[in-house]
Amino acid sequence: MAKVLLVDMDKCTGCKQCSLACSLTKEDLFDPKRGRIKILKKEDIALGIPLLCEQCDTFPCINSCPEGALTRNETTGIITVNEETCTECGICVEACTYHGIRLHPETGKALICDLCGGDPYCVQHCVPGALEWVDKTDDTVKRKKKLRSARMAMYHKLKKEAA
Amino acid sequence: MYGHQGKILHVDLSKNKIWTQDLPEEWRKLYVGSRGINARILWDYCKDPEITWDDPRNILVYAPGAVTGTTAPASGRTSVTTIGCTTGLYLKTNTGGHWGAELKFAGYDHLIVHGAADKPSYILIENDQVEIRDAKDLWGKDIIQTDTLLKKWHGEDSKGLYIGPAGEKLVRGASIQCSLYHAAGRGGGAAVMGKKNLKAICVKGSKPVRVKDPKKFAEIAKEMRDLLKADSGAASLHQFGTAGSIAAVNELHAFPGKNWQTGYTENVYPISGQCLVEKGYLKRRVACFGCTIGCHRYSTIDSGPNAGIASGGPEYETFGALGNGPGVIDTEGVLLANELCNRLGMDTITAGGVAQWAIESYERGVLTKDDTDGLELGWGKIPELLKTIEAIALRKGKLGNLLADGLKIATKKVGQDSYKWAIMNAKGLEQSNVETRSAKAYALAFAVNPRGNDHLMTETFAEFGASPEAVAVIEKVTGDKKWAAPHFTEHRAEIVRWHEDCYEITEALGFCVFTSTAAYGVNPDNMARLYDAATGISMTEDEMMFTGRRVVTLEKAFNITRGATREHDNLPWRLMNEGAASGPLKGAMNSQEELDGMLDLYYAQHEWDLKTSWPYRKTYEKLGLKDVADYLDKMGRVP
Repeated sequence: MAKVLLVDMDKCTGCKQCSLACSLTKEDLFDPKRGRIKILKKEDIALGIPLLCEQCDTFPCINSCPEGALTRNETTGIITVNEETCTECGICVEACTYHGIRLHPETGKALICDLCGGDPYCVQHCVPGALEWVDKTDDTVKRKKKLRSARMAMYHKLKKEAA
Repeated sequence: MYGHQGKILHVDLSKNKIWTQDLPEEWRKLYVGSRGINARILWDYCKDPEITWDDPRNILVYAPGAVTGTTAPASGRTSVTTIGCTTGLYLKTNTGGHWGAELKFAGYDHLIVHGAADKPSYILIENDQVEIRDAKDLWGKDIIQTDTLLKKWHGEDSKGLYIGPAGEKLVRGASIQCSLYHAAGRGGGAAVMGKKNLKAICVKGSKPVRVKDPKKFAEIAKEMRDLLKADSGAASLHQFGTAGSIAAVNELHAFPGKNWQTGYTENVYPISGQCLVEKGYLKRRVACFGCTIGCHRYSTIDSGPNAGIASGGPEYETFGALGNGPGVIDTEGVLLANELCNRLGMDTITAGGVAQWAIESYERGVLTKDDTDGLELGWGKIPELLKTIEAIALRKGKLGNLLADGLKIATKKVGQDSYKWAIMNAKGLEQSNVETRSAKAYALAFAVNPRGNDHLMTETFAEFGASPEAVAVIEKVTGDKKWAAPHFTEHRAEIVRWHEDCYEITEALGFCVFTSTAAYGVNPDNMARLYDAATGISMTEDEMMFTGRRVVTLEKAFNITRGATREHDNLPWRLMNEGAASGPLKGAMNSQEELDGMLDLYYAQHEWDLKTSWPYRKTYEKLGLKDVADYLDKMGRVP
């Protein structure tokens, strides 16, 4: 059965295990800045907002890329970065509605979550349960969107306050 | 390098010099990391007893652990080591938060600060770019304002460690705050920073941490994570925080109240972790870097006259020191006092400890209204408690100046037997909120703690046998699970000895001690295997524990250079001479006789001299500390 990743900001403790796990499984090292999942921290209110690719239905990143370096799997929604053609321009980072893309600190290539091909390694590291890998049903898809809206509302509020 | 980053960063504030040094390979084997290597560094630079806490030659060493920065659960902690100002002795203080991991990602295992700046300064570290900067716009600012300015200047993702006004004013109970609400709080490290004119250290790093065998490392990290996930202690820490245990401790009549005059409080609920959750004060469960437990709290008051108050915590210790201790059985009262301490940069344990002593002194007529600047101190009086804290942190008035120097100095100034209700031992640190009269391993551990009597150089929580995992530890150490009860004096020496080593290696690796001595997912066996996978340095469990003993002995040796003897290993007068007020252990004391019995066994276990408590030459040599023995021999301090 198809699955979806639920990301609940209210359960996130901001520990960054997920980002570390991501850098480990992708690159055999530990560096939260290389995680395809990122925790935006706001220390004064003890908040951590997990940000990552949502496999969304509108995929503005695809169209934004001047080199056509991003492709999308029609069934899973997973975006793949062609590292040969990616020019490290960062336009996709700006285009992403969910602030889920960033550039690799060393190579400059776009970092986009691929759900580890169907078994996201970060999930087993998230003991508080902020990340859950669940069967895809109408109900879980609805929940995913609701949790995402809450994260984005908080994200925009923080950016507005900072401006 | 694997595990470690392989670099020590030196900053000399007097000479305005910055340099790096390779991490000696030998130290990785002998001292592992963080607290262990810090102890070696402090010995090497500051063993000369002429160097006092306020001498520019005193150093501050900051260090994340050997596996900090990885997925090893709860391995993001940082040790800060210096000559403490509260006791004038060895001080290791350890903090959570995210600053230490950032220092490691900047490429450093240790940061050593030498000298003293001639004007307020802060250190900015961005990988290889390190600068000493002018802190004139930060000086005088509270912790929140300081953090806000540093983030404005250096980015929202920078991490700060700083002192507040209390540290600037050399208050002995001042706390080093770390990524905002975490604290290397005890022993007055913040006053050492203040004396050096060092307001803050701001770090940004982007260098990955590599381990020797990522696959094996991930397997052991998973084993630890799974054990912690299944541990009832860890689950409770996440759900209700450290303050989740208050009701149970109170039921044992072991929750110190009114300056250790009571152990049981009717309706203790308002000052518990459960109340924070159920009454809606708790807004978030928060984790330090890489921690899968997440015991830290973020609490706010949303309505009523105190609306808008928000801060990290309160922890068990804060509900004790600023709640039950001064008789404030009031959630918002403690939230206010906690927020004030966090904002001004005060250690809540010491703030509460001196406040309780002042209240009792006032009640006894030893302090008068003239001494308190007109404040009518008393149990449960919230505005007076808040004014007292502010006076201490800012050294305001007669009361503030008296209490800001801590109980060791205040009791000497006031005299009139006031040491009898000062809850500190001969070393002079205000005791943390543990009823040692009814927990005998704690009593022994507190007495021998090199930094003063608290639970943060070793913790023997297992003696309560509160979980199957705790009972298993006691059985492993003593050979019989029947000793998992805190009123026994038998086998306490072995229990303390084992926990000392375990606690030390836990901190050397960067783990939170809750993972190995409050919950039990991390243990000497899996730590040794993990260190091997991380660094390629292979050690058995026993060899790993032996590095712990080496460090504990080195810390002891440092205090011997300052004249510490067996007489310094005692407990507060009240706890040694007055019985517990109520409960199953009513009348129980930490009598000198009882303590002496445990101390003899403890020193014998260490192979230390019973009369002086000093290690023998052969003990040092067995641990590879011949140079330490040679130095102390010249001082005439090897028995």
